Amino acid sequence: MAVINHEAELSRAGANITGWWSRILFFTRRYPLGAVGATIVLVFILTAVFANFIAPMDPTATNARASLAPPGGKYLLGADFMGRDMFSRIVFGARISLAVGAGAMGLGALIGISVGLASGYLGGWVDLLVQRLLDIMQSLPLLVMAIVMAAALGPTMRNTIIAIAIPLVPTVARVVRASTLSLREQPFVEAARAVGMGELRIAVRHVLPNTLAPLIVLATAQLGSAILVEASLSFLGLGIPEPYPSWGRMLSESAAEYVRTAPWLVIFPGVAISLTVFGTNLLGDALRDILDPRQRT
Amino acid sequence: MRVGLAIVATTAAVFMTAASPTFAQKHGGTLRISHRDNPPSASVLEESTISVNQPFMAAFNNLVVFDPSEKINSPDKIVPDLAESWSWNADNTKLTFKLRQGVKWHDGKPFTAKDVKCTFDALRGDGDEKVGIIRKNPRKVWYINLKDVATNGDNEVSFQLGRPQPSFLSMLAAGYSPIYSCHVPGRDMRSKPIGTGPFKVVEFKRNESIKLVRNLDYWKKGRPYLDAIDWRIVPNRSTRMLGFGAGEFDMTFDSDVTFPLLKDIKAQKPDAVCEGRPTNVNSNILINRDAPPFDNPELRKAMVLALDNRAFADILSQGNDLDGAAMLPPPAGVWGLPKDMLATLPGHATDIEKSRAEGRKIMASLGYGPNKPLKVKIATRNIAIYRDPAVILIDQLKQIYIEGELEPIDTTVWYAKVQRKDYQLGMNLTGVGVDDPDVNFYENFYSTSERNYTGYKNPEVDKMIDQQSAEVDRDKRRKMVWEIEKRLADDGARPVIGYNVANTCWTPQVKGLVLQHNSIYNGWRFEDVWLDR
Amino acid sequence: MGSYLVRRFLLMVLTLFGMSVLIFVMLRLVPGDISDILVNAAGIADAKEKAKIAHELGIDQPIHVQYAQWIGGLTRGDLGYAYVSERPAIEEIAPRIPISAKLAGMALFFAVLIGVPFGVISAVRQNTGLDYFLRVISLSGLSLPSFWLGLLVLMASVHWFGTIPIYSNEPRSFLQEVALLSIPAAVVGFRSSALIMRLTRSSMLEVLRQDYVRTARSKGASEVSVNYDHALRNALLPVVTIIGIEAAFLVGGLIVTETVFNIPGVARFLVEAILWRDYPIVQNLVMLIAFVVVVVNFLVDMAYMALDPRIKFAE
Repeated sequence: MAVINHEAELSRAGANITGWWSRILFFTRRYPLGAVGATIVLVFILTAVFANFIAPMDPTATNARASLAPPGGKYLLGADFMGRDMFSRIVFGARISLAVGAGAMGLGALIGISVGLASGYLGGWVDLLVQRLLDIMQSLPLLVMAIVMAAALGPTMRNTIIAIAIPLVPTVARVVRASTLSLREQPFVEAARAVGMGELRIAVRHVLPNTLAPLIVLATAQLGSAILVEASLSFLGLGIPEPYPSWGRMLSESAAEYVRTAPWLVIFPGVAISLTVFGTNLLGDALRDILDPRQRT
Repeated sequence: MRVGLAIVATTAAVFMTAASPTFAQKHGGTLRISHRDNPPSASVLEESTISVNQPFMAAFNNLVVFDPSEKINSPDKIVPDLAESWSWNADNTKLTFKLRQGVKWHDGKPFTAKDVKCTFDALRGDGDEKVGIIRKNPRKVWYINLKDVATNGDNEVSFQLGRPQPSFLSMLAAGYSPIYSCHVPGRDMRSKPIGTGPFKVVEFKRNESIKLVRNLDYWKKGRPYLDAIDWRIVPNRSTRMLGFGAGEFDMTFDSDVTFPLLKDIKAQKPDAVCEGRPTNVNSNILINRDAPPFDNPELRKAMVLALDNRAFADILSQGNDLDGAAMLPPPAGVWGLPKDMLATLPGHATDIEKSRAEGRKIMASLGYGPNKPLKVKIATRNIAIYRDPAVILIDQLKQIYIEGELEPIDTTVWYAKVQRKDYQLGMNLTGVGVDDPDVNFYENFYSTSERNYTGYKNPEVDKMIDQQSAEVDRDKRRKMVWEIEKRLADDGARPVIGYNVANTCWTPQVKGLVLQHNSIYNGWRFEDVWLDR
Repeated sequence: MGSYLVRRFLLMVLTLFGMSVLIFVMLRLVPGDISDILVNAAGIADAKEKAKIAHELGIDQPIHVQYAQWIGGLTRGDLGYAYVSERPAIEEIAPRIPISAKLAGMALFFAVLIGVPFGVISAVRQNTGLDYFLRVISLSGLSLPSFWLGLLVLMASVHWFGTIPIYSNEPRSFLQEVALLSIPAAVVGFRSSALIMRLTRSSMLEVLRQDYVRTARSKGASEVSVNYDHALRNALLPVVTIIGIEAAFLVGGLIVTETVFNIPGVARFLVEAILWRDYPIVQNLVMLIAFVVVVVNFLVDMAYMALDPRIKFAE
């Protein structure tokens, strides 16, 4: 039942679709907000990937004469206390955000899928144990859990990814488990079993692909929250360390000191975070409408 | 021989208050000050941060104290406090104090010579374990020459030294040397301390506030002027600045106003009185000389040649930080190297391009170059005042083919890591409690000191340190100190990149406040401060 | 039904027990403990003094002994002594709870006040310009980091009023406290209002498609009556649940907002206690948060069961 035929869904929506270009055009017309979101996310990813070509300066090079330089001229978005170019730092910051956001989302999804699949497919005491563990993890708000994890692991890039990924696991695991439970009894799974396919193979080859739609929706939403949590952690001094130009870190401590004298230090990194998360949220909404029509809003 | 001086000082003070009607001090009022962070405890003897000294020094007295009306702490500006007078014996190894009578602790118990003995026995590491008035002793090294403390009745106490040490009196005069009582356990001293000072601590709410009220039984008649001091802990600096601008505070935390912020404060509050002064806190580079690559003296030399102290100062303090070697430079510093001598030392040259060229030549001879840089990790405490200079250092080292990567260390494990020598380069801050060669050299450069983080061991320098310590003639001693400074700089023992200078601001209604210019840790008794409202 | 309650209750206890073990072990994996902090704060690294402090605080004991002591104390209502202030942990935690609770309460109040009406409007005017506009606003509520929003508010306030609404002194009256807390509460509540609005909207749309609404409409009930009497009442059920859950999850937003506005509540205190490795404070606070979350979830389930007769809890 949860198997969704995207082509059918699209043609039902009145689309006559052939080729990528018309698909994109259709998507834009049908989901204008989603298209805006997709564009933002695309720009974000491209910025992250091509940061070295886009940024005019070394994001870590200090310069006394440029300390707190206002936006304009050589320093498009101004310079921070140490005279580092804000534009270059924000461009490289996209790389950090993408690495942490996608890394945490990927790791969280990987663990969540394995756990959810095992739990739903194997059932029994494994399921019971996993469910109780997830209960425990979910008894703390996401940020609180991430803060405790980040403090326990120490402030490095890798640890920040782990600290954000772990709290994301329960939601993924629950979604995968729920779909797996309903799929387990489906005729095609029975059939696969009847022809002597191994359980692991059935789970990975037949059950997993059919849980993908809700997962993609969830992953997009989680990319946004991972970026937000990273920013909050770094703001609190628990996330990405200097001199990496993390957007959240750029807003903490020294930037906040200059809210009056150098507001650009506060405005631009915040705009970068908000815009990126906004984009993922718009895209996520549109994807949910397409892939998971039962939840359509 | 110092007795005479002490008496003169007392009479002078009495004369001043009696004879000058322009000093119409007013009693009353609450002084409101912002605090930058939560003090680890209220026990001054157990901590080494201005976060503790500035609020809590007012609850205590010392035996003697640096004259609070003088800007420069120097050995000849020491005045009586709980001691009425003092005298040295003939060979300068025994120091005897006559104590003030009728002084009471905040809980009403009388102060006696026994309390002095308890305090210094504890500092010497010979205290009564059961009473346990302290459990940490960060300044043990100050008292290595103190052999015994003996009382003679309730009003006399004498200190037996192992050898002559003129600096000993300076250490007793520091804000870090309050007298504790025998009868108050450490736990209380850390949360709600009992002293003899002009103010009583009534409340210390973690991360929120510290409240002190006037000690009505204070032994110095007519003091203090203020009814109370209210400290509000506000961890975010911009919030503190805005609060001061909006009139929520009468005074900023000490040295809280950096030069980029000063302009803003002046714009927000044009009548604010701001004073910029050196804090006697220096930023310095820790070099691990026991492990590759910096076990190579050539490489150490090349690194020092790359340093541009001017550029550090330009960024960190708009050029206001002072260049100096191991001791705080004059005029604020009493002992530091004069400017012309300083310029001859490596790392302090005026022609930085020439030095760097020389540095690059050394690096090239060691096989490094633009395409084959030396990769090093630069460890530092993960707080802004440590990190900022470290980021600049990384940028400067690029000039001589050294590619640095910042390794921010959680502040909880920083000293442990440094002591394990688990680093290549480190960016460090050293605060000096008293502008005194013994305090600085024994702590940071003597081969057996615990706080000699770099493990700098030089028997010759040790001997020079001991010699200057025992020298009674001050001019002779100053020259010996300069020699040591030069040796340390030549050896790259702990290259100093600058002495911090920062501002403290208050409203014009706050009167009678004198900031000490060669140590931020002294001069916070607040007994002469009054509010003109 | 009775057995379901018992089962839910036991699960709740089990979850809290698991959380207590998890947080206890995790805290002790953190590099550096309180004895490191205390000697570091003094700028020394004296192994002997460090060991003395560790012994005094009992952190040199085996971990299971420490755990038993903590849980044993908890059952007697004793939270232990805070490491840093050396005062009973309860004295440190308890006075900070009302501040955070008030802040959270006000935030939730704002969130509902804004979220529900706009959600209804958005649903009733589905696919109009107004709907799109409101949806974009609500999405931005989910996208703006609340600490940044807080900083922007501070900046704006300085710019226009020359001063800032900071909690620099204890408020003297109830009104002053409300005034001081209202801006941070609005900042925290913005995110929740966005969530509530989205849910109200989708839930309204769902109900508006239902048969009885169509029937009411065909019977000639006015649009207003259909929308508000018939639809809204039924749409509110899921909204109530999300409000309950959001109440517990506001803690995350409180942490950064209390930091930005210098509010001495529990949420900021938690972060500070973690940085100081003040275990007695951290573990008790975490348990408090977990307790609130679990109990709220339980109550929401119960409310659901009471309100919606269609739901049966037989498994």
